[in-house]
Amino acid sequence: MSIMKIENLEAKIGDKNILKGLNLELEAGKVHAIMGPNGAGKSTLSKTIVGHYDVEITGGDITYKGKSIKDMEPEERALEGIFLSFQHPVEIPGVNNAYFLRTALNAKLKYEGKEELNAAEFLRAMKKHLEMLGMKSDMISRSLNEGFSGGEKKRNEILQMLILEPEVIILDEIDSGLDIDALRQVSEGINKMKDGKRTFLVITHYSRILDYIEPDYIHVLKDGKVIKTAGPELVPYLEEHGYDGIKED
Amino acid sequence: MNLITLKNKNAQEVSTLLETKGQDSLIEKFTSLGLPHKMTEEYHYFDVEKLLDHDYKTLDYIPKSIEEGEKVEIVDGVVIKAPKGLRVYSEICESIDMEHFDGLYYLGHLLSPRVIKIEVDGDAHVEILHKYTQSDALINYRVEISNQANRHVTMYENFETGDISNTLVLYGYDMHIAQDSTLRMVRLQTMSDNKYSMVSSHNVNVGKNANVVLKNFDLGGDNALQVLKVELGEHAHIDAEHLLYLNDDSKRGTASQIIHRGEHSTSRQVAKNILDGQARGIFDALIRVEKTAKFTKAEQNAKSILLHKKAYMVSKPQLEIYIDELEASHGATTGQLDEKQLFYLQSRGISYLEARKILVIAFANTLIETVKDTRHQERIKDAFEAVFYASNKE
Ligand SMILES: Nc1ncnc2c1ncn2[C@@H]1O[C@H](COP(=O)(O)OP(=O)(O)OP(=O)(O)O)[C@@H](O)[C@H]1O
Ligand SMILES: [Mg+2]
Repeated sequence: MSIMKIENLEAKIGDKNILKGLNLELEAGKVHAIMGPNGAGKSTLSKTIVGHYDVEITGGDITYKGKSIKDMEPEERALEGIFLSFQHPVEIPGVNNAYFLRTALNAKLKYEGKEELNAAEFLRAMKKHLEMLGMKSDMISRSLNEGFSGGEKKRNEILQMLILEPEVIILDEIDSGLDIDALRQVSEGINKMKDGKRTFLVITHYSRILDYIEPDYIHVLKDGKVIKTAGPELVPYLEEHGYDGIKED
Repeated sequence: MNLITLKNKNAQEVSTLLETKGQDSLIEKFTSLGLPHKMTEEYHYFDVEKLLDHDYKTLDYIPKSIEEGEKVEIVDGVVIKAPKGLRVYSEICESIDMEHFDGLYYLGHLLSPRVIKIEVDGDAHVEILHKYTQSDALINYRVEISNQANRHVTMYENFETGDISNTLVLYGYDMHIAQDSTLRMVRLQTMSDNKYSMVSSHNVNVGKNANVVLKNFDLGGDNALQVLKVELGEHAHIDAEHLLYLNDDSKRGTASQIIHRGEHSTSRQVAKNILDGQARGIFDALIRVEKTAKFTKAEQNAKSILLHKKAYMVSKPQLEIYIDELEASHGATTGQLDEKQLFYLQSRGISYLEARKILVIAFANTLIETVKDTRHQERIKDAFEAVFYASNKE
C-alpha cells in the first residue's frame, strides 16, 4: 500500500529548476533509500515534501494518505505525521532544547486530542531516549542546537523523531559526519521506529548506514528525477561503478 | 496648564508663569536649555511638543500621612503607602544636578520643588508602584533615592493606571548610590490605549566603588521617553539593560548619557529592541569618557528586530572619548526574525504564531532571565506575552 505518492513533480528554488518531473512512490512500512550525486536535488525533494519556503512547486503533485499536501502549511504536514531530519539543522540561541521538544510534542498531543505533558512528565519520558542515543542530559538543557557538534545535532534530530513518532520519516544525510559509535546509536534509534508501519526515506551517500537499517528499495536520483528503482542489491553496484553507468528504468 | 507656553521665554517670564520664588539658578538652567523640541538632540526622534502642547489639568500634591504597606505606593505623585523600616518623606530637594543636559529635568524640579525622598537603610528589596488615576492631567513629581555605603538594595518599579486617558506624566529620580554599595533597579512599564504619556528624566550618581544595575522593560504602545544621565566615580560600575517591545504606533525609548569621571570606572549598556506595527523605538545612547577617567572600560551594544515593515528603530550608540587609556566597544544591528529558525520550529508541528512567539521571547530572554527573582521574572514574561498576543492574533 502506498502512503505517499509523488507524481511528475517539478520544483524550483529561485530561478533554478531543480526537480524536473520526479516520480516516487513510498510504500507504507518500508525503508526507501535515495542515493544520487551532489546537487541532484535530494535535499530539495525532502524540503518540498515538508513545505519549505525556499521551494516553489511548478508542476505535479505530492499526495499523502490519498490527499494532496501541496497547499498545506509546514506545521500541518508535521502534525499529520511527516518528519524531516535536516541535513543542516539550524541553531536557535535562547530557545531551551527541552522546552522546544516539549512544545513540539505537546502540539502533536493536542492535535490528536490527547493530554499534554508537563515538564516533569516530559523529562521522565525523555530519559530512555537520551540513554539510547548516548546524549548527555545537559544537551537538552542547552539552547536548541547552539554550539552542538555535527554529531550532536544529528542525535538531536533523531531524538525529535523518537519523541514525535511520525509516520513518514525523511532522513537527509543523517549519517554524514557521524563517528562509528554515533552511527550505531543513531541507527539503533531509527531501527527502534521500524515497526512495519512507519515509512522511511533515507537520503545517503554511503552504504554504511544501509548495513544497519536494511532498505527495501533503492532509488537513484539524478538531475531532478528518479532514474532507477531497485532492491538493495543495487548498493554494491553503485559503490563500484558510481552513478554514471546507471541506465534509466 | 499648557506647557508649550514656556517655549522661548526668558527667565523672568518663566518665573512669572510658574509662580516660582527663589529658584533662580534652576530657572536659569531651564531657560538656557529651553523647552525641548524637535531639534533638541535627545528629543529628536520623539514627538515631545505634541505631548507638551495640551491644556492639562494640574493637581495638588499635598503630602498625606503614609500608611504601612508592602510597597511604596505613589498615587498621582503622592505617597500613600510605604513598608515599615523604609524612610519615605517629602522634602525640598537639595541635590539637584546642575549639569544635566535635559530641560525637562529642570522643569520637573521647578514644578515639584518638594521631592519624594526614599532612604534605604541596610540591605533591602523595595517595590515602588506608581499609580495614575486622573485623565487629562499633568502629573509631575520627582523621587530621590539614596542608599547606604556597603549595602545592597534591589528595587522593583511598576506602573498601574485606572481607566484614564490623555494624561502626561513628568517624573524622574535622582539617585545617589553610596560608595561600595550596589543598587539594582528593575523597571517594568507596559503602556497601552493612550492612557498616559511619559517623559522621565533621571539623574544617577554612582559613588566610588559602587555598582548600579538598571534593567528596563518597556513594553506595549504609546509615547514615553526615558532621559537618563549617569555619572560614574572612581571604580564605579553601571550595567544598563534596555528591553523595548513595542507595538501599534508607539514611540518609546531611551536617550542616555553615561559619563565616566573616575578612573577605572566601567560601563556596560545593552539594548534589545523588538518592534511591531508602526512602532518607533529609540536608543540614543552616548557614553562619554572624561579626561579624568583613565583605565575606563565601556561597552555598548544594541540589537533590534523589526517584526513589521513599517516598524522603525533609531539606534544610536555613541562614544565620546577624551583619553587613550581605555577599552571601549560599541555596535548596533537591526534585522528580522530568522526564516530558517521559524521554519525549523514549524516543521516540528509548532504553529507559525507560536514559533514567532518562541523566537521573539528567545531574543528578549537574555535580558529577562537576568532578573533572578522568579516572581518578578515571571511577571515580566507574562507582560511580554500579553503584548505579543495583543499584536499577534491567530
Ligand atoms: N537556496 C538555494 N538557492 C539556489 N540554489 C539552490 C538552493 N538550494 C539548492 N540549490 C541548488 O539546487 C541543486 C540541488 O540541490 P540539493 O541541495 O537538493 O542537492 P542534493 O542532492 O541534496 O546534494 P548533496 O548531495 O550535495 O546534499 C544544487 O545545484 C544547488 O546548488
Ligand atoms: Mg543534500
